[in-house]
Amino acid sequence: MKEEQFQRRIVIGAGLCVAAFALVGLRLADVALLKPLAEAPAAPRAVAPRADLVDRNGALLARDLPVKDLYARPEVLSDPQEAARELAAATGVEEKRLAADFAGRLRSRHPYVLVARHITPDREAAVMHLGLPGLEFEPSAKRYYPDGRDAAQVVGVTDPDNNGVSGLELGLQDRIHAAAGGAVATSIDMRVQYILGHELAQARKTFRAKAAGGIVMDVNSGEMLGLVSLPDFDPNARRLEAGDSTVDMMAQNVYELGSVFKIFSFTLAVQDHTMHLDEMFKIGQGLKVGRYTIHEAEHMPDMLAARDILARSSNIGTAQIALRSGGVRQKQFLANLGLLTPIHTELPETARPLYPGNWRTIETATIGFGQGISVSPLSFVAAAASVVNGGRRIVPTFLKEDGIDRRGEQVISRETSEQMRDLLRYVVTDGTGKKADVPGYEVGGKTGSAQVPGDHGRYIPHALRTSFCAVFPARKPRYILFVILDQPHGTKETGGFALAGYTAAPLAGRVIQRIAPLLGVPAEAPTTKLADGSL
Amino acid sequence: MIRVLNLFCVALMGFSILALYHVSEKARVAHMQLVHVTREIAQTRSDLSVLQTEWQHVASPEHIQQLAQARLGMSDSASVQLSSFDQLPRRGEDAPLNNSPVRNASAVVPALGLSLAIRHARGGRGM
Repeated sequence: MKEEQFQRRIVIGAGLCVAAFALVGLRLADVALLKPLAEAPAAPRAVAPRADLVDRNGALLARDLPVKDLYARPEVLSDPQEAARELAAATGVEEKRLAADFAGRLRSRHPYVLVARHITPDREAAVMHLGLPGLEFEPSAKRYYPDGRDAAQVVGVTDPDNNGVSGLELGLQDRIHAAAGGAVATSIDMRVQYILGHELAQARKTFRAKAAGGIVMDVNSGEMLGLVSLPDFDPNARRLEAGDSTVDMMAQNVYELGSVFKIFSFTLAVQDHTMHLDEMFKIGQGLKVGRYTIHEAEHMPDMLAARDILARSSNIGTAQIALRSGGVRQKQFLANLGLLTPIHTELPETARPLYPGNWRTIETATIGFGQGISVSPLSFVAAAASVVNGGRRIVPTFLKEDGIDRRGEQVISRETSEQMRDLLRYVVTDGTGKKADVPGYEVGGKTGSAQVPGDHGRYIPHALRTSFCAVFPARKPRYILFVILDQPHGTKETGGFALAGYTAAPLAGRVIQRIAPLLGVPAEAPTTKLADGSL
Repeated sequence: MIRVLNLFCVALMGFSILALYHVSEKARVAHMQLVHVTREIAQTRSDLSVLQTEWQHVASPEHIQQLAQARLGMSDSASVQLSSFDQLPRRGEDAPLNNSPVRNASAVVPALGLSLAIRHARGGRGM
């Protein structure tokens, strides 16, 4: 009996052992065969909280580069003052500030002191070489702009915490965050942007202009291919040098643009049939409107046909044409073109147009030739594009749209748009815009030489703001180009003249000559005589 | 019989312990390798990102223009010197564009003249 009991206990013990081994075996099979390996914790990855900004061809405009922020724990340092001196030498930060921070933090409850942000790998190596305890490198990101100044005003910058503060960096912030790790494609074409900036810089230097700016836009898709404002700044430096400016004069400032505004007076007159292009107008020596007299900037014939009033940029003739439209209709028309309200694009920089509260007869006349109303160049370009693109409203965009037709409602008739394109071509072939013509490309356009108001509301003597609004090809426009020079001076080559026909028009011509082939604008060849006399 | 079973169980237990340790060690090493490789991938991606940025910087239109002017003596071409690929004659065509004049930016070249020029060029290459 006793032996049976003993054997039973052994069997139970053996059974328990077998069960235990079976459990271990099952668990082994489960771990080794059935369960997939647990995912390894991710290694520290490059910090990329913002997406890349790229141009329409995929060229990089802005990217986060991995850098490190350096922190120190002063309580761990054996000699905080000596450590501050060594760290200052290694990182380039101010020693006094660091020593004061270390001393202050020793008395506070917060253990860490930020020594330096955005440490580069060579500086990181120099800090490591010091062998100091209590130092920590925190992975961070620094926004870098490979093209530097070339697209600074339009791309904008971020602050040290990598938040957008200006330009598309701010305007496209939500998209940039949403696409983190990828790229946000803008409408900018860096080739066009560079050429525009290069030619503007050359012209600014040649004519000793205070500032210069330019815009290139697709008139059908509204895509902005280039926007330049000089002076500019280095977005990678994070500090301004002498003469630098962060102000985007094309979007943030408003100007009286002068004679380029005559485009709208003529568009309205053609649209409303208040004049015929061959109709003769008396120019004379001055036009009396109330107690004011309107004069010409240059000598004009006594009589001019309407088309020549635009081609030769007669103020008196344009004032008469504007007065035929009347103030109410003129204001309504300009409002319809979007010139009396701030323009809204992806750029956060915008400006409210300035126009008279009391739109009397004299204001109607002067606004007709571009005085008494101030708009941003960006607003002007959008309105002018509507005039030449078949008469449909177009809102500029800085996002890549692949050239799709984004034209909106009809604001002027197609026939008026066609007539205006012919007129603008006529200005270039027979008027003040001759120097903007480019062999092989039909350029249309209008010059503008506006007086510059001074601090006390009076115009500065002899100071001009010259501009040129060009469309090409004129018969079927694809692009609009607007350039502006702030207070240019005449040169020996221009005979001392600083008017738009001598400064802004040739500048526009040079830009078109360089960008049109890149943009695939078909060249219309004029017949050329060969050496043997054949055509 | 029970003794044999016991011995077998003990041996199995010992073998299981060794196998488990071996598998565990292999998993630990593999895990370390994975972390290392993941870090290397991240570092390589980071380097690639920096290199792409550097490339964009050196290949910017400004640098290209400077190099083209300094090293190749190039300058801005007048539009009359520019044409496009689709205006070039195809290989084997006697005269381009079916004997029609070739049009470049601003000069019309008669088909005959160009045709002769092409024949002359082909003759020179022994074609």
